[in-house]
Amino acid sequence: MTAPEPLLAARGISKRFPGVVALDHVDLDVRAGEVHAILGQNGAGKTTLMNILFGLVQPDEGTLTLDGRRVRFRSPHDALAQGIGMVHQTRRLVSAHTVLENIVLGHPRARGFLNLRRARADVETLCNRYGFRVDLGARVWQLSEGGRQWVEILKALYRGARILILDEPTSVLTPPEVRTLLAGLQALVRDQGVTVLLVTHKLPIVMTASRRVTVLRSGRVVARLPTAEATEEVLIQHMIGRDVAFRSVGRSHTAGRPLLEVEHLAAFNDKGLLALRGVTFGLREGEVLGVAGVTGNGQEELAQVLAGLRPAAGGRLRLDGLDVTHLSPLDRWRLGVGYIPAERAEVASIAAFSLVENTTLNYHFDPAYTRRGLLDDTGLAQLTQRILSAYNVKAPHEYVRAQHLSGGNLQKLILGRVLSRHPRLLIAHLPTQGLDVEATAFVRSTLLDARASGAAVVLISEDLDEILSLSDWVAPIYEGRFGAVLPHDEADAETVGAMMAGLPMREAGAR
Amino acid sequence: MRLGRHEITLDPRPTLRPIYTVLTAVVAIVVALALSSVLFLSAETGPFSAYRIVFSYAFFNPRGFLATTHRAIYLLFATYAFLVPLRAGLWNIGLPGQVFAGALASFAVPLALRAAESPTPALPPVLIIGLMVAAAAAAGGVLGGFAGILRARLQVNEILVTMMLNSILFWLVSYMIKEGGVFMGATAEGESFSLPPSLYAPLLRGVPFTAVLALLAAVFLDLLFAKTALGYRIRALGENPAAARYGGIIPVTLSLMVFLLGGAFAGLAGYHYFAALPGVYKIPGNYGYYGDLAFYGIISALIARGSSLGAVPIAVLFAGLSLGARFAQGALHLPFGVDYALLGLLMMTFVGSQVVYNFRLAWRRVPSEAASSMTTGMPEA
Amino acid sequence: MWELLARSLEASTIFLFAGLGELINQRSGVLNVGLEGLMLFGGTAAFIAAQTTGSYPLGFLAGLAIGAVLGLAHGFFSITLRGDQVVSGMGLWILSFGLTTYLGSAYTGPLGLPRIPTVAGLSPFFPLGVALVAAGWLVLFRTSLGLAIRSAGENPGAAEASGVPVTAIRYLCVTFGGVLAGLSGAAYTLSYNPVWNYNFLMGWGFVSLALVFFSMWNPWILLAGASLFGMMWQLSLSPELVLPGVLSRYIWRTVPFAITIPILIVISTSWFRTRWGLARPEALGRPYVKG
Repeated sequence: MTAPEPLLAARGISKRFPGVVALDHVDLDVRAGEVHAILGQNGAGKTTLMNILFGLVQPDEGTLTLDGRRVRFRSPHDALAQGIGMVHQTRRLVSAHTVLENIVLGHPRARGFLNLRRARADVETLCNRYGFRVDLGARVWQLSEGGRQWVEILKALYRGARILILDEPTSVLTPPEVRTLLAGLQALVRDQGVTVLLVTHKLPIVMTASRRVTVLRSGRVVARLPTAEATEEVLIQHMIGRDVAFRSVGRSHTAGRPLLEVEHLAAFNDKGLLALRGVTFGLREGEVLGVAGVTGNGQEELAQVLAGLRPAAGGRLRLDGLDVTHLSPLDRWRLGVGYIPAERAEVASIAAFSLVENTTLNYHFDPAYTRRGLLDDTGLAQLTQRILSAYNVKAPHEYVRAQHLSGGNLQKLILGRVLSRHPRLLIAHLPTQGLDVEATAFVRSTLLDARASGAAVVLISEDLDEILSLSDWVAPIYEGRFGAVLPHDEADAETVGAMMAGLPMREAGAR
Repeated sequence: MRLGRHEITLDPRPTLRPIYTVLTAVVAIVVALALSSVLFLSAETGPFSAYRIVFSYAFFNPRGFLATTHRAIYLLFATYAFLVPLRAGLWNIGLPGQVFAGALASFAVPLALRAAESPTPALPPVLIIGLMVAAAAAAGGVLGGFAGILRARLQVNEILVTMMLNSILFWLVSYMIKEGGVFMGATAEGESFSLPPSLYAPLLRGVPFTAVLALLAAVFLDLLFAKTALGYRIRALGENPAAARYGGIIPVTLSLMVFLLGGAFAGLAGYHYFAALPGVYKIPGNYGYYGDLAFYGIISALIARGSSLGAVPIAVLFAGLSLGARFAQGALHLPFGVDYALLGLLMMTFVGSQVVYNFRLAWRRVPSEAASSMTTGMPEA
Repeated sequence: MWELLARSLEASTIFLFAGLGELINQRSGVLNVGLEGLMLFGGTAAFIAAQTTGSYPLGFLAGLAIGAVLGLAHGFFSITLRGDQVVSGMGLWILSFGLTTYLGSAYTGPLGLPRIPTVAGLSPFFPLGVALVAAGWLVLFRTSLGLAIRSAGENPGAAEASGVPVTAIRYLCVTFGGVLAGLSGAAYTLSYNPVWNYNFLMGWGFVSLALVFFSMWNPWILLAGASLFGMMWQLSLSPELVLPGVLSRYIWRTVPFAITIPILIVISTSWFRTRWGLARPEALGRPYVKG
């Protein structure tokens, strides 16, 4: 029996960016009415491929066929006109506007006067047809991440999308929200004939939700098969290309004396809402606390309160017995607190400054490098050189501007700069985000070295594997509270994942 | 922008060698001069001889050169007044207001000491002059600091506040010299009283001691920003406030500090021009013109790219140009405002030079298969 | 009393036109602090054109055209070159300040044309201003163009992904803002106070800028603010009408500017901020990088 004619087909798609081949002669077949998973690691080319299908990016080579006709999408406008809609990894919504305004934005039918009443009626019909329930008058910033994602899906459907591309839709969802999403997608496919392209790096999603899967690795298609015929092991092998035994950290080393005591720490976010609702934990020297959670549950506020960049709304923070709750960031630096923020280019470094001047960012107050108000330029330059070589930072020399470093090298510089102060308490917020495999491994082993030399480390990350492999204690965070503080041997992916979704410990443990 | 099979784009330039900084500054000035030759077209003699008049008066005529020096000192103070907050990323356009505040304060000192009336003042003149200088700096500083603290604590836009203060101070001076009682001059000509000779600033070959202050300040400021921790913090704040906060640098104190310092320099400019220059020694009826002149400080700070020593030759050049232009305007019966036009043209060429400095025109052949390609960001997963 | 009110309203149109233009381009995400410069240049061009040709329509046309050109220049620098919008704005202000002083000096003095007719003492510009405010509100909040503009100012990435041509929208708004600024200047030199003098605006452009912030980017509140300020200004010119002999007229002249400062302070307090922060276009002043 011949395979049914694909609805959307790509042949020989290639795309090169300066210095890297993102896609290398990729073929893709998407059949009508299926959920087709595109599986691959970070950097495999999934998003680039989807951007090409959506018209955001033009391929260097290759063709696209829709309904048997050759098509070319010069912009999302063309793709939308042909019935292809995309929901991106990061939200593309105007948070200050209402749901209805967002759905209607840019719609070709809404020319001239915006008949909001008619649009509302149309959208409500759509919602009923698909079985959605959403408050059209709500402002987007009031919705949860899951709610916002549904707004984007609704928006694509309102534009008449027959093919829906979802790029890593589950990365910011809690497990219950994921279940809702997948169920909703199945309903769309089954009852409305929508075709779904699901881009993900998560195996469980692929196994449960898709009918066929295409695996990408390093810009090439390495496997294409019905999900029913695939197993997780096979898929992992295709994704990674070799058997990777995931090594966990050695547990030989014992912790030192208690260093950090946090009691009912709370903080407001920038919108004035209580984002951190009272966390309590203690940490000894040489221990790593892994705070696991989906971004937006109070991690940013936690990191900033610990570092002194956000005032505590309540609670207490004690470092080695000293109450530092209201201490300025500068005083905390002096007391041995080190902070690696998530935004390395915007907050942790100054793009236009040289590497030496960036090092000075953590040293301008240090009496060892300032003499009567004057900076010790030679000393700082030497320190920078040492950091560059010890942390394997690829840079022509220490006076080059920070903006010329790649993300990985910049992060290594920042890490080196902070650790060169031998902090007693290290706060690392999303330290490996956006880094390639080599840099990620380097950062993780550096964190373990810090732990080995007696620092207390608070690691805040979204990557459950990272948390589980590096932490002595695991604290899942959800809506500003810790579900529990689990010792390493009691923390497994299921339990932690469930608590990240808000299931209380008892229930979680019973799963 | 596409042209057939090619496209032109503006690409950001990677960092250039320092020689380019100087080069673009020079080019900006030269282009502005070339453009302003248009202003001299209406003169009978034509641009070249007009420029000859300008330069020969400003730099080669003894009286003209002295006047150039006097004005250069004024512009230097104005430059520092703008430059210091600029390094912290803040815009002090309240220069005229702070100059006026400084002028008012300097003249208030002898009044307060009743030294204006009697020929033999109670305190030694040197001390009174010192007080006048200090009062000028303090008044300018307070005015600047007011804007600074509003910016620091409440994020009130400093451009708006300083501009409002400019207008307020302008009218305040009007009031003082036209209805201010003891402040007014002996003749009812709408100007302030004249300083008694005992309070004239000490001169060295016709140049007041403020020249020394200005030059010392240049050295001081460059050292401050290059070598000190405080200067580093100000620069960090100006480049990236979020990163500066991360590094423990507190914006509130620094914002206030740079405006206090900047305002103080503008106040000194006010003392210098109205109280220290031979032939002036009062606040004249056309004081507004000198307030406007302070805006040249903005341009020279921008062209000097924040370097105060670099601003010295630029200030001298602008001083000479504006004086010479005024002189040429009179000699050649040109319309009023040649120096203002020059100010405007310099700003235009400066911005133009910034574009040239930071970007270059790239001419590329578009790859064959891709149709209209939009430049994209870095590769994602 | 009616004359005072009529003159106040006429003065308020100056703030209103410039403020409305700036409101629209700020809604699209572009900040133009050099508003005063565009008004100066528009007013000077209008004055010169009207003076030399004897025609009011040509005068206004010149003012509008110059405003458009300068707005476009600001747009080029801010949108295409992604430069610092404050630098560009300040540059345009100083450029205009300098050049208009020179260009207009030969025309210093009164406009030699019969005054623009008023209706019952009220200049025709006031109803025009109100009409523009209504149109502005209507466009911004009831049309898809307005939705596109607001989205471009809040989240240009989201707008672009929805098919809104953010660059084109921003160019449109910044040019339109320039046109209105030019209109404001022209209205000043041709109608409100038809006497040319250097720096005739004395800081009014910056007041308009402050009014835009104060209005929380709502055209109707802008109208209210502009009217209030116009009244204050008119009062400061003839204080004897309200408080005879209390202060020198020079001191009175400082009152409108002095009042702006506490207003700026109030709108910066945290109470106001939480309401105001929600109204502020989130992407204001930040260059938009595609992709």
